[in-house]
Amino acid sequence: MKTLIKSMATAAVCLGLLSGCATQSASSTDLIERTAPITMNSVAFTDYNLKRTYSRGFGQLEDGERYRLSLVQHGQRPTATGTTEVYVVLRNHTDYDYRIEARTQFFDQDGVPTDVKPTWQRSTIPANSIATYRELSTTTQPLQYRVEVRELN
Amino acid sequence: MFTKNTFKPACALVLTSLVLSGCASKIENVQGKPSVYEDVSTTGSVGGVGIESQDVVAMTDQMMRDMLANPMLTGRSTPPRIIIDNEYIKNESTSVINTNMLTDRLRIELNRAANGRMVFVGRHFSDMVQKERDLKRDGAVDGGTIRQTAAQAGADFRLGGRISSLDAIDRNSGTQSRYSQVTFEMVDLELGTIVWSGLYEMRKAARDNVVYR
Repeated sequence: MKTLIKSMATAAVCLGLLSGCATQSASSTDLIERTAPITMNSVAFTDYNLKRTYSRGFGQLEDGERYRLSLVQHGQRPTATGTTEVYVVLRNHTDYDYRIEARTQFFDQDGVPTDVKPTWQRSTIPANSIATYRELSTTTQPLQYRVEVRELN
Repeated sequence: MFTKNTFKPACALVLTSLVLSGCASKIENVQGKPSVYEDVSTTGSVGGVGIESQDVVAMTDQMMRDMLANPMLTGRSTPPRIIIDNEYIKNESTSVINTNMLTDRLRIELNRAANGRMVFVGRHFSDMVQKERDLKRDGAVDGGTIRQTAAQAGADFRLGGRISSLDAIDRNSGTQSRYSQVTFEMVDLELGTIVWSGLYEMRKAARDNVVYR
């Protein structure tokens, strides 16, 4: 009996470790990004082929992650006329140029959507390189932002 | 360590948790119904190398935001009077496009977003305004409720621009490539200086035989 239990326990541990190595596809419903809360002053990859994270299961301390692009830095600053400029620096980790589109939704300090309707702006990130996406607001009030990035169709 | 009595419930617990974990996800990740409507700001189902809706939306949006960040245009104590129409927008490209689509969208979006920081002169409506002014001055109609002015508004700045393109075709594959360049320049109507410039450029390649009208 003891031998059987030991074998089963060993098999369970091995299974757990192996499941930690398994990756989740971009269409998986178990991706963390799908249900992550919306946060202000943030950048989100809405195309999960570009970047995705997922829970690696029981016994795994860190979440699993697969990415082609990553976020280097992002921020905002006021322009000469008092409008807001948002910048996002993206890094391409692949050997291929990636054509992406990005848009910025602006919110006021209370979290209410403001400014004009966001529009997708197209850009290319060269292979193994970085590129910067910039967007300007139209209003002069203090703003928060959320940038969404996806691959161009 | 484990007895038969504890082993059985443990197995049952593991089995139950496995069954329940199968029902864990609440997201139904499926595509919606197909529609004839498409988002104007993204590439549609019919796409070629010409200037398309997503380009019109993207370039006018970019120009609008850039103009509002320019202190020469919006940093003045008295809002400048601006004319934005297609009178001085030249299409020298091989793309078929009504340039009014660019200037109309730019003027309307800019007027809505500027919120008084710029004043737009409707020069393309000047004959309409003049007819009404003449009727008022002839006494055929009364003077209205707003005010009377000596003349229609003169403008401080006017938008000019050009669309140009460079085409290339691969005869073997039939792939067509087009580099399009759209320039926008805001001109001081007294001095003739250019106070703001904007450039939008793109290159597209396609094998689809798309006809623009």
